[in-house]
Amino acid sequence: MSTLHTRDLIINVPSRADGFPLNMSIESGQVWGVLGPNGAGKTTLLHTLAGLLPARSGQVTLHDTPLAQLKRRDIAQQLGLVFQERQDSFPATVLETALIGRHPWLSAWESEQAADLQRAQQALAALDVEHLSERLLSTLSGGERQRVAIATLMTQNPDIWLLDEPTNHLDLHHQVKVMRLLREQAALSKTVFMCLHDLNLAARWCSHVLLLYSNGDACWGPAPTMLKPSALEQLYKQKLMTVEVDGAPVFVPVCSN
Amino acid sequence: MIRSLLALSIIALLAAILALAIGSVTISPAELWAVIQGEGSALHRTLLWELRLPRTLAAFATGGLLAVAGALMQVLLRNPLADPYVLGLSGGAAVGALLAMLTGMGALLISGSAFAGAMLAMVLVFGLAHGTGSWTASRLLLTGVVVAAGWGAVITLMLALTPSYKLPGMLYWLMGDVSYARTPWPALLVLALAIAVVMPLARNLNVLARGSMQAAALGVSVRPLEWTIYLLASLLTATAVTTAGSIGFVGLIVPHMLRLVLGNDQRIILPASALAGGTLLVLADTLARTVIAPEQLPVGVITALLGVPTFLYLLHRSR
Amino acid sequence: MRYRWLSLKIALGLLIGPLAHPLMASETQRCAVDDAGQKLCLTAPAQRIATLSPGATELTFAAGAGDKVVAGVNHSDYPPAARKLPLVGNHTRIDLEALLALKPDLVVTWVTGNPPAQMELLQALGLPMFAIEPRSFEAVSSAIERLSVLTGTEPQGFAEAERFRTGIAAISAQYRHAEPVAVFYQVWETPLMTINNQHLIGKVLQLCGGVNVFAEMPRLVPRISPEVVLQADPEVILTGSVEGAIDDQLDHWKSYPKMAAVAKNNLFYIPASPISRPTPRLLEASRDICQKLDIARAR
Repeated sequence: MSTLHTRDLIINVPSRADGFPLNMSIESGQVWGVLGPNGAGKTTLLHTLAGLLPARSGQVTLHDTPLAQLKRRDIAQQLGLVFQERQDSFPATVLETALIGRHPWLSAWESEQAADLQRAQQALAALDVEHLSERLLSTLSGGERQRVAIATLMTQNPDIWLLDEPTNHLDLHHQVKVMRLLREQAALSKTVFMCLHDLNLAARWCSHVLLLYSNGDACWGPAPTMLKPSALEQLYKQKLMTVEVDGAPVFVPVCSN
Repeated sequence: MIRSLLALSIIALLAAILALAIGSVTISPAELWAVIQGEGSALHRTLLWELRLPRTLAAFATGGLLAVAGALMQVLLRNPLADPYVLGLSGGAAVGALLAMLTGMGALLISGSAFAGAMLAMVLVFGLAHGTGSWTASRLLLTGVVVAAGWGAVITLMLALTPSYKLPGMLYWLMGDVSYARTPWPALLVLALAIAVVMPLARNLNVLARGSMQAAALGVSVRPLEWTIYLLASLLTATAVTTAGSIGFVGLIVPHMLRLVLGNDQRIILPASALAGGTLLVLADTLARTVIAPEQLPVGVITALLGVPTFLYLLHRSR
Repeated sequence: MRYRWLSLKIALGLLIGPLAHPLMASETQRCAVDDAGQKLCLTAPAQRIATLSPGATELTFAAGAGDKVVAGVNHSDYPPAARKLPLVGNHTRIDLEALLALKPDLVVTWVTGNPPAQMELLQALGLPMFAIEPRSFEAVSSAIERLSVLTGTEPQGFAEAERFRTGIAAISAQYRHAEPVAVFYQVWETPLMTINNQHLIGKVLQLCGGVNVFAEMPRLVPRISPEVVLQADPEVILTGSVEGAIDDQLDHWKSYPKMAAVAKNNLFYIPASPISRPTPRLLEASRDICQKLDIARAR
């Protein structure tokens, strides 16, 4: 099982001074939630952890090897990412899109085998989009496309799952389904690290939380210690009211007129 | 996958045989067979070996080069409207060729000049797009389109200043003409090498087509791959334009048509493009030299007349 | 004894000498140098001639070899017999198959008119090629004479060449002291094009005592604007008239009534075909132009 470490990591948010150096140990079995206001650098952090963006200083290590020293293919076998923004791309069916996830595991001359196909179909079924296999991606709704993206990551089956706002566009039913799936994966010794805009999801489903402030400050730790109303109010610059449901806190923004 | 490639190969072969058999002088199958065996009249032997065979091979190679270059450009730029000329390669080649014609050089130097012009265009666009650091698909496309327009202006200037008797030659070069090809072997060689180089990269291209960030996240070395594709597509286009002038439509339409019928897997699309592009150009060239013989039409007109309705039909059927 | 040997040798030398002379060789070798500087030698007079431009067709007919021409290209319309020729395409794009099928033993080409790539291919296939393109009156006669050597029709060819030579000389003598007339020759209306005195048309104008207002332009067929014509203010404006079309190419000058040529109504049309090709018809065209200039001189 791989572990992701950050050593004095300072992410590069353009035109912002250096933030607080991040020294995190992201281990298997954990479900991390990254919370912060818009522009705090959540997406930048995720892309830096994936090795897609260079850090301003410090390093990210995967299993004690700095990311910069690893080959892209090796990284992709251990680490996968679901993006927040869809990129413009060529038309493809849902099944083709999910199958792309097997790319890091196939050599240049190999073709997708039956086992790969099965894995993709199982992933699509887990995300409730198997019935859309032959449809073109562009004809799906936002929520369906989001689920296909997550299914692609599941097909890739890396040890570390990085997700950027995975519940975007999803209806309530599927929000719960996806979060439950992620927690199941963590239980299977995967590592889940995701950016969330809904702090209640973090409160409900995450074991660890990272708070990213807009000025670059950061603090992280187990969820119960991080989810203190005072810290959250400072994070979002919004007054909150705490309620308890089912043993977990629910934070409700207060509109003070 | 193999089945469709096999079918395309057979169609290509049939098209080639057709091209060898018909022309201003009809050679019957029996006479064709006699010539292949080494007999047959001197006229038929000259027609087949010196005129039709090199021309058919050159047409096939050029069509294949353009179609593969078009398919690669469309993946590189993630844009189905891309064709081999969108980044200004044919413009550079045209300026090279027209300059050579203006200074009265022979056919070989005209070809060499065209190739040099295309390579210059490639380096220019690459350098300009790369210069400011972020080499995205849209930046490349924008740079290429602007540079292509620049070449177009230079070409117009040259056409305006050239003495009138040189004009028809220049215009015909710009329209594209397979009969310019003195020997088909360089083009065939480049096509074969290109396919050999690109097939191992084909699955990477499938992933790249989903978006460059996604591809990087899945383990593709995006930047080196994009450079390789750019270089390869440029080489293919430069060879095609050097062989037969700038023939339009093949590079844009053939990959599209194939995608409508065969799907998006580059492992099929790339070799299929080579076969289908070659076939289209062989058929178009045969028509261009026979339909109003002894008048010879520019082959680019025929590729459009053949390609556009076929494409529209396939588009309609795919709804 | 020694002297007898010597005289025998001298006698033999005198006998064999002429036999080895090139004149004797002309019975088996017909040679001529074309306008691109290439020498062509045929072992027998050409019997199946392909002419790849209208001018080449005309000159070959003028050389007396008209009945041996087996292939022409579009617009080979003079002499009238040439209109019946099998065509092998346009001079800018030849149907090589049709040409080869007619099995020519001499291909007369135009130096600047035919596509180099196709000409190189024909050369590589071993066809005898002869490129012509006369740029002066003497060159017209020379082309006819050289063609007639290759086609074995020297009597007709040389006679025609001489007729042309004398005709041009006569006109030259006649108009040597004629009053100079400023002339503008309009080659094309839009874009407005004319010729300088390197062009044969310019030379014809000179022959008739005309002064081409654009004689010294650097390009052979320059593209100009109406302003420079207005500035030059010629006395005569000439243009070619196409058979079957209405003559209105000079009408646009009428909107400048103050121009000398317009005021005196010296806007003349002459048949386009004879003046545009470097062939013996230049003689008629020259006479035509000289006549028009005489009309202008009278006004």
